[in-house]
Amino acid sequence: MSERKRIGREMEDKQRAVQDRPATGTSITRRTFLHKSLLMGAAGAATYGWFPLLNTIDLAFGAEAFKFAWVSDTHLYPRQVNSRFVEKTVRAFQEVQAMRPAADFLIFGGDLAQLGDPVELQVGADLLKEVKIRKVFIPGEHDWYLDMGATWNRMFGKSPWTFDHKGVRFIGLDTVSRADDFWTARKMTAKERMGHMATLDGTLGGAWAGLGMEQLKWLNSTLASWPKSDPVIIFSHNPLYEYYPPWNFWVRDWLQVHEILSPYTNVTNIHGHTHQVLYNEIGKLRSIGMLATSWPWPYAPEGVPTLTKAMIRADPGDHFDGVGWSTLSTNAGGRVDNEYKMWRKQVFAESPEDSGTSDNRNQILSPRIADRI
Amino acid sequence: MTRKMLRYPLLAAGVAALFAAATDTEQALAHKEKHTAEQMQAFTDAFMEQVKTGDNLFHGDPETEKRLGVKLSNTGMACAMCHPYTSDTHPHEFPKYQEQMSEFATLRDMINWCIEKPNEGEKIDPNGAAMKAFEAYIYWSNRNSKLDPGRH
Repeated sequence: MSERKRIGREMEDKQRAVQDRPATGTSITRRTFLHKSLLMGAAGAATYGWFPLLNTIDLAFGAEAFKFAWVSDTHLYPRQVNSRFVEKTVRAFQEVQAMRPAADFLIFGGDLAQLGDPVELQVGADLLKEVKIRKVFIPGEHDWYLDMGATWNRMFGKSPWTFDHKGVRFIGLDTVSRADDFWTARKMTAKERMGHMATLDGTLGGAWAGLGMEQLKWLNSTLASWPKSDPVIIFSHNPLYEYYPPWNFWVRDWLQVHEILSPYTNVTNIHGHTHQVLYNEIGKLRSIGMLATSWPWPYAPEGVPTLTKAMIRADPGDHFDGVGWSTLSTNAGGRVDNEYKMWRKQVFAESPEDSGTSDNRNQILSPRIADRI
Repeated sequence: MTRKMLRYPLLAAGVAALFAAATDTEQALAHKEKHTAEQMQAFTDAFMEQVKTGDNLFHGDPETEKRLGVKLSNTGMACAMCHPYTSDTHPHEFPKYQEQMSEFATLRDMINWCIEKPNEGEKIDPNGAAMKAFEAYIYWSNRNSKLDPGRH
């Protein structure tokens, strides 16, 4: 076992106490029923991540129903470079605007641009005009590292932020702006810095995803006045747990995040960056990964969280496949469903062959080397 | 000239050609000698140079593309954007029946399919320098995977 994996496992053991699980509603849903079977050791299928799981979230709060929509990871280039990403972004925004009943708001979860170029961000801002409902934003690393967030913050506002809506405390985090400075000593241009940060499997960016001490303190104080069992939904670009650090499918200070969140029994993290169907629970924290509109990432080489029901293997010949957006809706019973809008009928794979994840057991990969300068 | 008379000069020419080839390609006989550490290092360096070139092509480095005279993408996309760490390229599973092409395919066929279809680039010479570099990088990155040709 690698040192990183060992540390990860230790951290997880510390966090995941026996029967320490997210609060569920009063009714036994298919999901909670299956989870209970798993805890009893009865669900052998979970060994391979084959788990008939619906990504539903149970929110034990008031009866007022509402919907909101998530779009992220549009990775827009200037229009003349790539029209496909523009087409898919337009489609997602039109569908958000067409939701009936209308969504209360749209959360844009980062990576609006591909290379942080003000031209790309402006393309995004123009396309966003399609969406007339309330819009809130958190940044991705692709939006940030050309000018260290100057254009992003001016156009879309600063993070973190919080607001309360119909009994839920919503929080938007900045998990992308705290990379260690690898560029100054190497005398890099802003474009070179952005290029390295825009490469998911790049070497120089390192463990750039994190909240940082100041934001951790902010999170702690923001939650201090909130009742421990009331619902909290946290938006972040990166997942708030350790999924696959080499691609920053985590935040490096996730242990501190979990310590801050541990007294709260009803916290859901909704994140982008991973471009894939993803679900996990660590301690009392649920995490749901959202689709990109641009392209799907492969699942991490070391496998997917056991609680994830893998998405269908995308057809690389169809650029509308394996991508999309999400609606998240509550009903009068106080439950929230996440519905992936994948622009195809079948979202979840029914067998390893249909997902591609079975290949994880037979592909051992090495990090790249040409960028170690 | 009869056929028998032609045989001797042809044979002589063949032997001469063999000698010439032997003199020109001294390295081809080098494996009869014990390998030196320098030689081994040179072999590794030659391979890793290809790996690095392939890594750069795979990550869309414009200078390497220019040097090798290839245009791998017209969408801004690079191979590594869908295949970080060469994920899901599965070089160890080729040759195999490839669904997208509806035919039995090699890794080289698949590389060219990806360049042409998702990346909207220009197909590269299947025996050219860029293809060899691609192969070097993809195989190197997957070198610890189990050989499993034909697997879907």
